[in-house]
Amino acid sequence: SDHLVLRLGHTLDTQHSVHKAMERLGDRLDYYSRGQMKLEIFPGSQLGTEREMVELLQIGSLDMTKVSASPLEGFAPAMKIFSIPYVFRDNTHFWKVLNSDIGTELLTGIEAFRLKGLGYYDAGSRSFYTNEKPIHTPKDLVGLKIRVLNSPTAVQTVRAMGAAATPVSWGELYTALQQGVVDGAENNPPSYFLSKHYEIARYYSLDEHTSVPDILLCSLRTWNQLTEQQQDWLAKAMSDSVIYQRELWQQSTKESLQKVIDDGVEVIYPDKQAFVDAVTPFHESLADTPAGKLMRKIKAM
Amino acid sequence: MRTLIRFVDKLLAGTLILAMLGILLAVVWQVISRYLLKDPASVTEELSRFILIWVGILGAAYAYRQKSHLGFNLLVQKLSPKSQQIMLTIVELLVILFSTFVLMLGGKELVVITLELDQISASLGVKMGLIYTVLPITGVLFVLYSIINIYNLWIADSKESL
Amino acid sequence: MEMTAIVLIVGFFVFLLMNVPVSISIGLATMIVIVMNIDLIPAVTTVAQRMAGGINSFALLAIPFFVLSGLIMGRGGIAKRLIECAMALIGALPGGLALVNVVSCMLFGAISGSAVAATSAIGSFMLPEMKKAGYDPNFSAALTAAASTTGMLIPPSNILIVYAIASGGVSIAALFMAGYLPGLMVGLALMLVCFIVAKINNYPLSARLPLAIVFKKVLAAIPSLFLIVLVIGGIVGGIFTATEAGAIAVVYALILSVGFYGEVKLKQLPEIFLKSAETTSIVMLLIAASTAMSWVLSIESIPQTMSQFMLGLSDNPIVILLLINLFLIVVGAFLDMTPAVLIFTPIFLPVAEQLGMSPLQFGIMIVLNLSIGLCSPPVGAVLFITCAIAKTKLEAIIRPLIPLYVAMFVVLMLVTYVPWISEAIPAWLGF
Ligand code: NA
Ligand code: NA
Repeated sequence: SDHLVLRLGHTLDTQHSVHKAMERLGDRLDYYSRGQMKLEIFPGSQLGTEREMVELLQIGSLDMTKVSASPLEGFAPAMKIFSIPYVFRDNTHFWKVLNSDIGTELLTGIEAFRLKGLGYYDAGSRSFYTNEKPIHTPKDLVGLKIRVLNSPTAVQTVRAMGAAATPVSWGELYTALQQGVVDGAENNPPSYFLSKHYEIARYYSLDEHTSVPDILLCSLRTWNQLTEQQQDWLAKAMSDSVIYQRELWQQSTKESLQKVIDDGVEVIYPDKQAFVDAVTPFHESLADTPAGKLMRKIKAM
Repeated sequence: MRTLIRFVDKLLAGTLILAMLGILLAVVWQVISRYLLKDPASVTEELSRFILIWVGILGAAYAYRQKSHLGFNLLVQKLSPKSQQIMLTIVELLVILFSTFVLMLGGKELVVITLELDQISASLGVKMGLIYTVLPITGVLFVLYSIINIYNLWIADSKESL
Repeated sequence: MEMTAIVLIVGFFVFLLMNVPVSISIGLATMIVIVMNIDLIPAVTTVAQRMAGGINSFALLAIPFFVLSGLIMGRGGIAKRLIECAMALIGALPGGLALVNVVSCMLFGAISGSAVAATSAIGSFMLPEMKKAGYDPNFSAALTAAASTTGMLIPPSNILIVYAIASGGVSIAALFMAGYLPGLMVGLALMLVCFIVAKINNYPLSARLPLAIVFKKVLAAIPSLFLIVLVIGGIVGGIFTATEAGAIAVVYALILSVGFYGEVKLKQLPEIFLKSAETTSIVMLLIAASTAMSWVLSIESIPQTMSQFMLGLSDNPIVILLLINLFLIVVGAFLDMTPAVLIFTPIFLPVAEQLGMSPLQFGIMIVLNLSIGLCSPPVGAVLFITCAIAKTKLEAIIRPLIPLYVAMFVVLMLVTYVPWISEAIPAWLGF
């Protein structure tokens, strides 16, 4: 055919800001390339889970995917930095780091794994939500079964705060929360709202322990087949898409919080210092590891 | 030859029995540990899923040996004995085609890629490539059993069946 | 794109008619179309990866567990006591055992939220018993497959959660409430078919038993009935998830059969474990191959192309809704429920909303519709399971399935054109 089509698969639904940003990416790619490059998006896990789609990129049968930095830890150990709590002071610090050499190095680091990192999307900060009692201090977490992401660092983080880390698959989580198999979970406001978990977990405690960005990946095989001109178009379109998504994310976070408050959810703004203190031993235990060294560099910024 | 095939059959059956027992123990422990321990087991979910992949794929070869896969034999039954014999041979060849390309070649490539990139599973820390070795192994077994089926189809005496 | 669809469908049917196993037929057809579109090595590697990915799911663990507990219950005297109890209670009705089957499937599907779990659990001990009582095994297999789908509508239900997320705005709690009435209606419609089939075929009627004996049979079944209490209580009480309940069921069945009744010997266990691994793997290979096929369908955008064509056919709401339903029934025959919900909700929900249908009602409609697809050949996990357990052929259960399809289709039409059925209970509860 007369134009090149890139296929992009992801696990989110079409309401999500990242999906909308990908649509913008497609529009901008079409615009910069004057119709010579197009993007075809496959939402809602049609093509597989996050990890499986990363494998398809490595195999070379899919061009692009979006992945949370957290499961990427299994492929690229440096990515574990995002699952460690309170590495970043605030959103400004977080983006300063991502836009610095550290952020770029993390992306280029995954080229050894046949993947080309195109850029970061905002996925906000993750906070606890619970179904029985509100979380005001880390002490309130003691003895609670909290669902965590399937990542060793995520498990250690929740343990460091005193809760029992319980891995439950995303699909079973709603029922697990409803029936009390777990006492709570943790996620960013838009996910808490869109997943409907607020219907049963009525306490949302904004302790903002981790900030795990989303990363847009391209198969290195696909990337190397593109001409320099085409790579340039894709990079330009991506940076437009990233700016657009960060705006959408802010808006979506605000709206999601407002909607859960309107629904009667108790949103708590705890004293974050108590949580930061709770994970200090965990930070110290990492001191001699590569992640610990990277953490010191980030904290110094 | 006969002894070797008998050994492979036994080994396959033994592995499946142990794998089933493993899945059961893993999930039972997952429930118990949540109540007995302050810190529930975090590896059982992944462990049981991985064993399930092994039971599902490897067991398919055992089921093929037992001829218990679902099929549609209404048309083939209407053919003459000679044509049936030829048709069944073609079916075995198609199974060999699938096993060679998808299970052996595709499965091997998947193992190589995931091992080379050193992909580690999230909670067990197991190499994903090792989990995927079930694909080429099953491919080899399917090809073996298909060849045995073809041999059995073309020898006259059923007592000599392998 | 069209070429891919034709090759996939024609290829699959040619292999199927040649008597290539169904799972390998799906795999071969999929392999051929992927190779047509990308290089050989990435193509076959992708098929292999999708196959492994398709069965890398914790929820699927319900299959080996319920197959295993079913086998143990069947041999260990549990099923026998349960069925004697049920027979004592409603066996005197025409088709009593079939009615028991439907009720058990509804109960089990309701608590486990998985049609696959219900079929494995109920099928494993009801199918042999129905055969002994003189029922046509093909009818029993078809009935178990159809009845197990009621659990998709009666909460809790994982597929309703998937729909709620795909629709981007429906409350899961409201959807759960909406599912009760349609789920019960499907169950009752199937029981009506059982009643009629039993009358026509003159299935044996048990004599009404004296009250003392009924009481004795019920008492004898109490340890066995406690299994259901344990499973339901454990899930509802938040002690374990529906999948974990399967493992608990195995342990309890083992304690009862080996320890208490002594009808299963320890040295028989390896053989029982092997048998359940075999049944499990037949289903797993099918799910694995179907997952690879769904991937090709999705990446070639075949479903979208087909549905756009469909919507160009009429502008009458009643006709469009009927067309959507017929289209989804065809889709459901080939595609698994979860990918079908994820692919078609974003496409058809806006159309349905334009026609004045609420997202709540549409959700119930699509799930009921795909439930029919779940028990329609050629691709359907519950069919594969019942056929494997009943040791019967896919083509043999198509005829007995027809009256059951009619019953389900009638309920589907009611759900499609009478919003009250889906919306009354949620509205009454204030959603
Ligand atoms: Na259910
Ligand atoms: Na089907």
